[in-house]
Amino acid sequence: MNSILGLISTGPKIVFPSISYKAIGPEIILIVGALVIMLISSLAPSLKRTKAIGAMAFAVTAIALIDSIVLWSNFVSHGASRAIASSIVLDGFAIFLMITISSAALLSVLAGEAYLSRSRIGRVEYHCLLLLSSAGAILLASAGDLIVVFLGLEILSIALYVMAAFEKRNQLSGEAGLKYFILGGFSSAIFLYGIALTYGATGTTNIQKIASFLATNTVTSNGVLLAGIALLIVGLGFKVAAVPFHLWTPDVYQGAPAAASGYMAAVAKAAGFAGLLRILITAFPTQRLDWQPIIWGLAALTLVVGAILAIVQSDIKRMLAYSSINHAGFVLLGVAAGTAGGVSGSLYYLIAYTFMVIGTFAIVNVFEDSDTGVVPIERLRGLARTNPALALFMAVLLVAQAGAPLTTGLLAKFSVIAATVKAHSYILAVIAMLSAVIATFFYLRVVAVMYSKVPQDKVSESPIDDEEVLVFASGGDGDLGSFDRPEGDLAVLAPAKVAVARSLRISTEAKIVVGISILFTVGFGIFPNPLVHMADLAKLLF
Amino acid sequence: MSIPGSWFLTLAAVLFSVGVVGVLVRRNVIVMFMCVEMMLNAVNLTFVTFARMLGDIGGQVLVFFVLVVAAAEVVVGLGIIVSIFRRRVGATADDLHLLRG
Amino acid sequence: MAPYLPIVIMLGLGMLFAAGSFIGSGLLAPKKPTNAKSAPYECGIVPQREPVARFPVRFYLIAMIFIIFDIEIIFLYPFAVVFHQLGSFGLSEMVVFAVVVFVSFVYLISNGALDWGPVKRYGIQEPYPQRTTTSTIRRVASGEEAA
Repeated sequence: MNSILGLISTGPKIVFPSISYKAIGPEIILIVGALVIMLISSLAPSLKRTKAIGAMAFAVTAIALIDSIVLWSNFVSHGASRAIASSIVLDGFAIFLMITISSAALLSVLAGEAYLSRSRIGRVEYHCLLLLSSAGAILLASAGDLIVVFLGLEILSIALYVMAAFEKRNQLSGEAGLKYFILGGFSSAIFLYGIALTYGATGTTNIQKIASFLATNTVTSNGVLLAGIALLIVGLGFKVAAVPFHLWTPDVYQGAPAAASGYMAAVAKAAGFAGLLRILITAFPTQRLDWQPIIWGLAALTLVVGAILAIVQSDIKRMLAYSSINHAGFVLLGVAAGTAGGVSGSLYYLIAYTFMVIGTFAIVNVFEDSDTGVVPIERLRGLARTNPALALFMAVLLVAQAGAPLTTGLLAKFSVIAATVKAHSYILAVIAMLSAVIATFFYLRVVAVMYSKVPQDKVSESPIDDEEVLVFASGGDGDLGSFDRPEGDLAVLAPAKVAVARSLRISTEAKIVVGISILFTVGFGIFPNPLVHMADLAKLLF
Repeated sequence: MSIPGSWFLTLAAVLFSVGVVGVLVRRNVIVMFMCVEMMLNAVNLTFVTFARMLGDIGGQVLVFFVLVVAAAEVVVGLGIIVSIFRRRVGATADDLHLLRG
Repeated sequence: MAPYLPIVIMLGLGMLFAAGSFIGSGLLAPKKPTNAKSAPYECGIVPQREPVARFPVRFYLIAMIFIIFDIEIIFLYPFAVVFHQLGSFGLSEMVVFAVVVFVSFVYLISNGALDWGPVKRYGIQEPYPQRTTTSTIRRVASGEEAA
C-alpha cells in the first residue's frame, strides 16, 4: 500500500502550459455572465420576469465586445500570438470574428428582449443560452486545435438546439428544435470522425502541428487523411448550411422564433466559417488540390440552389433561410479562393451579413404570430402605408442583402467575387453574379409587397383567406393544424389588420436593433474604408 | 497475443457506418438519437486505437471531452424529445411534418 | 491474470445464483396451469396488444440531473489520480469547475426540479386533448391500425 502511495506522490512531474486568461477573456466574460444571471435568478425568483435580466445580459455582451476590441488594439500594436499550449490562436482573423460574434450577441440580446416581452416565457433561459452559445462561437473562432474547434462547435450548437425549440407552446418550434438537434448531432459526429482520422494520419490534433507535419513528411496513409478532410468538410458544411447539407436550414429558421433565427443565421454561420477557413487554409495548405474542387462544387451548388428555392417561398422566415444559404455560397467563394484576399473577403461578408440579418429578423419578429410563429409574406402587404419608417428600414436591409450600392452588401459581394477572379475561377465568379441577380428578384418581391396597396376585397374576405394560409402553413394537415388553435383566432390573423395592429407595438429594443443595423449597413457602405482596412488586417496566423 | 490495431479501426468504422445508416433509415426519434450516440462512441474507439498505435496519450484524453459532450447532448436531446412528444402518442419522425416546402 | 481472479469468481457466483434461482423455483413450485390462470388479467377484456407504458416526465428530469454529476465524476476521477502533482493549481481549477456545476444545481432546485409533491401548474395551462366518449371509443376500436 505504501509503495503505491509513494508512486503516486513521486510520479512524473506534470508540465503545465502557461495559461493566459487574457486570451480567452471574452469567453470567460460570457460564461461567467451567464452563470451569474442563472444564480441571481435562482436566488431572487422575483427578478425572473423583469427587464433586469435582459439588462444584465446586455451588459455582459457589451463587456465582451469591449474586451474583444481591446484584444484587437493589442493585436494591431503587438501582432498575432498563440496561447495555452497553442490551442488558442489570437490572430487578426480570430479577433475580427470575436468582434463580429460579440456584436451579434449584443444585438440579439436586444432582439431577444423584444421577442420575450411578447412571448413571456423563459427570459432567463433565453439570455443564458445566448451568452453560452456565443462563448462557444468565440472559442471556435480562436481555436488552434481541432478538439477546441469541436468543443466550441458543440457549446454553440447545443445551446442553439434549445433556442430553436424555445417556443414550447408552438409545435413548429419544437419540431424545428428536434430536426436541428438530430441533424446537428449527426454532423457533429461526422466532424468528430474527421478529427479522429486526421489525428490518426498526422499524430496530432494541433492545427499548426498538422500543417508542419504535412509540410515535412509524406503521409503514408493518404487515404485516411483524405477521408478525414472530407468528413471535416461535410461536418462543417452542415453547420454553415452548404448545399447539399442544407436541408435542416429552412425548417429550423421557420420554426424557431424570429429573434433566435436571426441570431442563428449570424453566429452559427460566422463560427462555422471560422472553423472551415482555419482548418482548410491553415492546417491543410499542402492538400489544397484535394479540397479546393470540393469547396468549388459546394459553393456553386449553394449559390444556385439557395437563390432559386428562395423565390418560391411564401413564408418570409423560410425565404430568409434560403437567402442565408445563398449568402453561405458567397462566403464559400472566399474559402474556395483560399488566398489572403479570400479570407478577408469572407470575414467582411460575415460581419456585413451579421448586422443585416439580425436587423431583418428583428423586423420579422414584429410580425410574428405568437401562436404559430408563421409570417407569410402577405402579412407585410401595405406596410408602407401603415408604418412607412419600418417599411423603409426593411427595404434598406433587404436591398443591402441583395447587394445594393451604398451599403455593405455590395462591397461584401464585390470582395469575395474579386478574390474568386484573382484565384482564376472565372466560372465560379459568373455563377455567383448570376445568383446575385436571381437573389435580387426575391428581395425586391418583398419590397414590392410592402409598397403595394391592400386590395379592398381582401380585407372583407380575410377570415377565409387566412384559414387557407394557416392550413397551408401547417403542411395541409387539417387535423393537427386545428388541434390546439381555436377557430376564433383565425379572424385575428387578417394580414392587413395585423399589420395595422402590430405597427403600433414595436418595442424600444427592436427599434434600437434595427437602428444599429441600418447605421452599420449604410454607414460602412458610404464610408467603407475603416471596415475594409480592418478586414485586410484580419489574416490567419500560419 | 495482441489484436492488431487495424481490427479496432475496422470495427469502429463499421459501428460508425451502422450509426449513419441508422440515422438515415430509422424513423423512431429515440432510435435515431441512439444511432448518433453510437457514432460518437465509434469515434471514441478510433481515438483510443490511434492513441495506442501512435503511443500518444493525447488521443485518450480527447475521449473524455467527447464523453462529456455526448452526455450534454443526451440531456438536451432528451429534453427536446420529451417536450415535443408529451402531447403525442409515439416518437416517430414522420409525424413531424408541419415544416416543409 | 491474478488481479482479475476475484472478478472472475464474482462473475461465476453471480451467474450461479441467477441460474440457481430459476432452476430452484422451476423444480420446487407447483404447476397446475388453467386457461384462466395463464390469461394476462383475471377480468375484463383480453388486451390485443401491450399497453403503452406511461411514466411521468419527472423521471427523465431526475435522470438528467444525475447526468450532471456523472459528468463531474468523469473529470474528478483523473484529477484525483494526479492530485499531488497538480498541486494548488489543479485544486483551484477543480473548485471553479465544481462551482459551475453547483450553480446549475441551484438553478434546478430553484425551478422545482426536485419537488416531488403533487403537480403544481404554473402560468399558462398546456392545451390538452379533450377526452370524450367518441375519442375513447375510437381509440379502442382502431387499436390495431394505430399500432
